[in-house]
Amino acid sequence: MLGEISETTFKWLDERLSLSAVASAAGKKKVPLHKQSFWYYMGGIAMLLLAVQFLTGILLMVYYIPELSSANSSVLFINSQIDFGWFVRSMHSWGANILIFVLFAHMFSAYFMKAYRKPRELTWISGLGLLMLCFGFGFTGYLLPWDEVAFFATKIGIDIAEQVPLIGVILANLLRGGLEVGQGTLSRFFLLHVIVLPLGLFAIAGIHLLLVQLHGMSEPKSFQAQAPEKKKYEMFFPDFFMKDLMVWLLAFNVLATIVILFPWGVGPEADPFAAAPAGIKPEWYFLGMFQFLKLLPAHISFIEGEKVGLLIFALIGGIFAAAPFIDKGENPKLSMFFDMYGLMILIGLIAFTIWGYLA
Amino acid sequence: MNYPLWSIPSLGGSWAVGLISVIHVFISHFAVGGGIFFAVTEYLALKRSESNDLTLRHNSEMLYAYLRKHSKFFMMVTTVAGAVTGVGIWFSISLVSPDGTASLIQTYSLGWATEYLFFVAEIATVLVYFYTWDKVSKELHLALAQWYAVLSVFTLIIINGILSFMLTPGGWIESKAWYEGFFNPTYWPSLILRLLVMLAIAGMYSLITSARLKASESEDVANFRAYMLKYSSKWFIPVFLIGPIVGFWFFSQVPQAVITNIFTGIQSSGVGNFSILARAIYLSLILSGTVLIFALVGPYLNPRGFSFGSAVAFLVCGLGVTSMSEWSREMLRKPYVIYNYMYSNGIRKADLETINKDSFAAFSKWEDPDNIGTSMFRQQCMICHTTDGYRSMKKLLGERDLEGIKTFLLMMRETDPEKNSYLNIMPPLVGTDKEVEALADYLVTLKPVKLGV
Repeated sequence: MLGEISETTFKWLDERLSLSAVASAAGKKKVPLHKQSFWYYMGGIAMLLLAVQFLTGILLMVYYIPELSSANSSVLFINSQIDFGWFVRSMHSWGANILIFVLFAHMFSAYFMKAYRKPRELTWISGLGLLMLCFGFGFTGYLLPWDEVAFFATKIGIDIAEQVPLIGVILANLLRGGLEVGQGTLSRFFLLHVIVLPLGLFAIAGIHLLLVQLHGMSEPKSFQAQAPEKKKYEMFFPDFFMKDLMVWLLAFNVLATIVILFPWGVGPEADPFAAAPAGIKPEWYFLGMFQFLKLLPAHISFIEGEKVGLLIFALIGGIFAAAPFIDKGENPKLSMFFDMYGLMILIGLIAFTIWGYLA
Repeated sequence: MNYPLWSIPSLGGSWAVGLISVIHVFISHFAVGGGIFFAVTEYLALKRSESNDLTLRHNSEMLYAYLRKHSKFFMMVTTVAGAVTGVGIWFSISLVSPDGTASLIQTYSLGWATEYLFFVAEIATVLVYFYTWDKVSKELHLALAQWYAVLSVFTLIIINGILSFMLTPGGWIESKAWYEGFFNPTYWPSLILRLLVMLAIAGMYSLITSARLKASESEDVANFRAYMLKYSSKWFIPVFLIGPIVGFWFFSQVPQAVITNIFTGIQSSGVGNFSILARAIYLSLILSGTVLIFALVGPYLNPRGFSFGSAVAFLVCGLGVTSMSEWSREMLRKPYVIYNYMYSNGIRKADLETINKDSFAAFSKWEDPDNIGTSMFRQQCMICHTTDGYRSMKKLLGERDLEGIKTFLLMMRETDPEKNSYLNIMPPLVGTDKEVEALADYLVTLKPVKLGV
């Protein structure tokens, strides 16, 4: 009886959604098995954490008020008055941080495994786009509780954005919504955080996932070099998928443990007229860049130091993003250069972040 | 307060006890669950060895070979690590919470002695079991496994009475009859719950040794490895099916004040003492749920893809669940070590009035008359707090000055819940006015000195 019902339901859906075709495609998809297979799970973890962000974000919006006099107290209300409110908020805040960490891991693993090479150039670019969007989520979301640290960190962040050559002033004004960080900024950041960025994320994540399905998992050079009979694969469905589920559970456990042992608090309400507290720092993922900018003198020749810093970031990031168009796998020296280049960026990022944290 | 106390800076005594205990629980549960696992699996192997079906007979041979290897691992873990951590618990609790330990020994002298006898018999049996592989008949070897299972379950039957007594002493509070305390309101749900968890932990350890089988050796080994992983994961089914029901039964038997504490935690900010219990329960539930799904999607549905690394990760999750569940159970008792009888700092509820009237010094044999404040802190606060580490007094005192601290301490001395909101998580402070002032004088010295201009 039950079998008949499920068969009929599947048939009904299949005729409309071509489920058999999808199932057949999934049944053919293979995942290479090698020593670096572990990194394949990063994308899945990122997807899980994104789902957590969306779900908890929707729940937070039920009580959050994007208005200067109520923003901080509404977050405090969520944290202290709503049953499980602190849990949902902590999941959102910790989840965001862990997501960015996982995206970094995903990006660098893809980079060092040369997963950006033909035909995956667009997968690489869309992945970088997703990371940028998540930075945007982090930057805009940080201000929403309207607490002291967030207020001043945002102020500094927008001041830095103002230094971007040519479009800096326009960009800063657009973000700030006035001369000072205030209601205009909060409204815009809220809008960006809950509407604009999610729409962008859906679009780019859709393209990214579609491309991953289209090209399949990339194979590292060491694997490609193996004799065909020595290469091992596993089926994506159900073998890899089941493993993916296990990794998701582990990731969820890590998140839940951190959330419960270290719940996310709320700082004192921002006072725009108060002096900035000592030691204001941005979120950890901006800390490396922030520390680098701090080291630059006010002026380098006739250009402002921060402008030079931003140009350096643009140059470094540009070459990093352009890797698939330069390192096509035809020139071993170029390939080695990009390996070293990525390694330098990774070491630099870690070193400057630790330095910034300790400074 | 008849004994000196062990001071562990930064970490605190409760953490030292907790860390040792959690490891011990994880091993001792394996000792009991593993005993049942051996008895059942060896029974299967014996029955299959008598079968006419060649495939079953082959499976039986492989099962025997596996059990032999697994029993070495089992023996090493349970006898060595289990015994070391077991002694470690006694060592640490007798130094950190001597009055509570003394009270448990005095109430259940015979219980502890019996527990010890069963434990010795259990150790002896596991040694005989391991060293008689291929030396005695299959039937006798199976009987040894069954005998070990019975002995280990009896260790649980006894220790469960004492552990559950600490949370729900029941009629013992009035009658002081040991059997009323032993067969207390949470005895049966706690016993069943632990047994179910022990079976799951046995499966968890078995996943480790099964995942170690080298699938690359032959298709035969690969098939058996997959079979064992699936078989091991089935040991989670009892806790999955019956666990939630017994869990509800358990919570229906705990005192109402404990339930109120949990709900206070759910409704509070997620920071501070009131939410700790609720948070520990959340984590325990989340980890338990995910462990069960892990067992389903991992070794049960995809045994061939289940690596040794996955088994280790699974074991770590299991350790996490055990830690959080045991921590939650300990927290449920707050602020008592024996519910409604003795507070966590070893002061009996019945002695409060006498101490407040006569002085804490008269009650405590180890109070230093020259440092009353320090002694008060060591004897009454240090079981849960450190000066600057875990539950740091320095941090908790915040911006309070001497007067603020005195006012707070006087509030802490109240035994009326309307006047002292901390009563459901902390023992009331005891001592004369002079002693409370001395404690305040000591506590104010912990605050960081602010340099003026």
